[in-house]
Amino acid sequence: MCPPNGNRTGALEECEVASPTQYFFYRETLNISSSIESSGGGIHMGQALCLLLAWIIVYLCIIRGVKSTGVVVYFTATFPYVVLIIYLIRGATLHGAWNGVKYMFTPKLEQLLTPQTWINAATQIFFSLGLGFGSLVAFSSYNHHHNDFEKQALAVSLINSGTSVFASIVTFAIYGFKATNNYESCLQRNCLQLINTFDLAEGSIDAHNVTEWIRHLNITHPDAFNSISEKIEHCSLEGELDTAVEGAGLAFILYSEAIRMMPLSQLWSVLYFTMLLLLGMGSMLGNVTAIITPLTDTPLLTNILSSETINGLVCLLCLLLGLGFTSPSGNYWFTIFNEYAATLSLLFIVFIEIVSVCYIYGLKRFEKDVEDMLGHRPNWYWRLMWAVISPLLLFSLFVFYIYSYIQGGVPTYQAWDKELGRSIVKQYPAFGQAVIALLLLSSLSCIPVSALITFCRRRRKQQGVQEEQLECPREKPTRATRS
Amino acid sequence: MLASLLLVALMLPPVLAQELCKESKDGFKVRLSIKQALDQEAVVRFSQYEWNESEMFLFRSALAFAMRRKTGNDTFRIENILVCNSTKRVSFVFVVTKPEDPTQLIPRDQVKAALRQSKHRINSAFLLSDQTLEFLGVPPTLAAPVSYGTPPWLIVFGVVMGIVSVAILALLMSTVSRRRQAKENSAGLAEEEEIVKESRTSLATLEATNGTYNQTFSIDDRLTKL
Repeated sequence: MCPPNGNRTGALEECEVASPTQYFFYRETLNISSSIESSGGGIHMGQALCLLLAWIIVYLCIIRGVKSTGVVVYFTATFPYVVLIIYLIRGATLHGAWNGVKYMFTPKLEQLLTPQTWINAATQIFFSLGLGFGSLVAFSSYNHHHNDFEKQALAVSLINSGTSVFASIVTFAIYGFKATNNYESCLQRNCLQLINTFDLAEGSIDAHNVTEWIRHLNITHPDAFNSISEKIEHCSLEGELDTAVEGAGLAFILYSEAIRMMPLSQLWSVLYFTMLLLLGMGSMLGNVTAIITPLTDTPLLTNILSSETINGLVCLLCLLLGLGFTSPSGNYWFTIFNEYAATLSLLFIVFIEIVSVCYIYGLKRFEKDVEDMLGHRPNWYWRLMWAVISPLLLFSLFVFYIYSYIQGGVPTYQAWDKELGRSIVKQYPAFGQAVIALLLLSSLSCIPVSALITFCRRRRKQQGVQEEQLECPREKPTRATRS
Repeated sequence: MLASLLLVALMLPPVLAQELCKESKDGFKVRLSIKQALDQEAVVRFSQYEWNESEMFLFRSALAFAMRRKTGNDTFRIENILVCNSTKRVSFVFVVTKPEDPTQLIPRDQVKAALRQSKHRINSAFLLSDQTLEFLGVPPTLAAPVSYGTPPWLIVFGVVMGIVSVAILALLMSTVSRRRQAKENSAGLAEEEEIVKESRTSLATLEATNGTYNQTFSIDDRLTKL
């Protein structure tokens, strides 16, 4: 499974120390460097080509604007559900899947009582709804005036939460299968160690009686047992289930290892990665539409270039920017952008949105607009949520994030160490921290800066109007005196 | 008579053989995991076998074959392979004696080289692999990695890229041709539209739309003071 080393006596050292899946991901897919500071090393050709292909597919979907996007989204939104259902059926028939699902549904009270859990849950729901990116606003600007958005808002929220629960059942079924598999192979390794050391017949120790044999051999042959005691591993199913991972670790390593253990694994891996690709594509369509819609709305650009050219230029620009992430240290930069570019500023933007609609535009005026579009006013639930509860929740999340950034000290990241075969924690260097600060400030400052510009412009206009008004009264008396 | 005497002299008495085998540092420990190997391959389940004297005979002859192949010396025989310390695990120790002098052992390195050369043949004789037929102290020679002329992912990539590029070009062409047609049509239609507009009754056009309700002109004290 591991590629052989130079003189073909054993596997490559890095692959031996880490697992083959981790080796494939970190070395062959990413060719990751040991820290964010190592620059150079060129571009990973495979990654660059895949990035190019991804952006060309996005361009193909966006080329006609919302018309083509609308057709494509029928596929990109429903195919992941099909794959999830297939995986649910496959996962339910796997050995040990029930352990995972049981683990998921047993509440762990000590975790539920910590506020961190609830904050993570709120953050997850917030980001999975895709608020604040502008994609919802962009898509909804193409709706009819009397579109029933109340029903649609309810449907989107319910479907979003339902999909989360459904997907986590599937994930935990696969996870339980993998954990059971790991647990049983841990027991098998112990059996093998015992029968090799004590030269017992092959079938005499198996997974069920290995613990009794360990006790028995410890008593009868204490010296021989002590010599191998550190090789005997402590196997625990709970321990396997407790090692939770998220993000790239879950999607690319844990799932790949689980799929590898299934029979007919090529089919399952193609299905799985196609689903991931379509999910990413769907999000990307929303984000690029959010960028393109205001651009095509400005008459300045649409007079010079056609809309296809604008779409192409936006995709090209994003492609060129994304090439920077295909260098050996690119994954670390990607993690910076992933963690810091969107999180805080989205909370801020959505908070400002809801406060400005409810309190500056006026909740009563907004209700009247809704009545004009839908035919009835929103009921007390919506008004309570918009005016009181959502701003409070958003503000507390925002404050909490700032507090945790300040309290966390120097931000750290996980760097892959190829000698140890696992990730180690490192601190960001000075320029890394500068980039983080720049990311946070640049996205947060859009609203205050544009507010300032609008304020200055209006001030200047008002001053101009006032000067005109000062001139008029001088002329009036002369006319009056004349007549 | 002389030949039979020679034969007896060449064949080592069993006690001496056991001593040579047990005390030697030139021996290798061998471990077979038959159940583990043949349990995994469900297809080959019917070929499970028990370890007995005949299998040991096959093993010794395979080792003699390996020594012959390495040294090119055709005088190696089964009697040159001595086995001791057999356990129920199916593990034992073997040593190789020189064919011309059965009291002398072949040094460890030569045996190791012979084993590495013929490991695959020995494995195949027992339907085992490097993990299930272990010679302790002899590292396995791994197979060379498969190298393709054209890596398969490049082919898939080329196919997908080709399809998508053709689709983009087709869409762009259709847009350009549609725009050109629209320009030609609008040049021709402009005159027709004016004639149509004049001949249409204005009442009919008025009834078609009820007008739109413009909020700016309504007086409503539910509005805020802003």
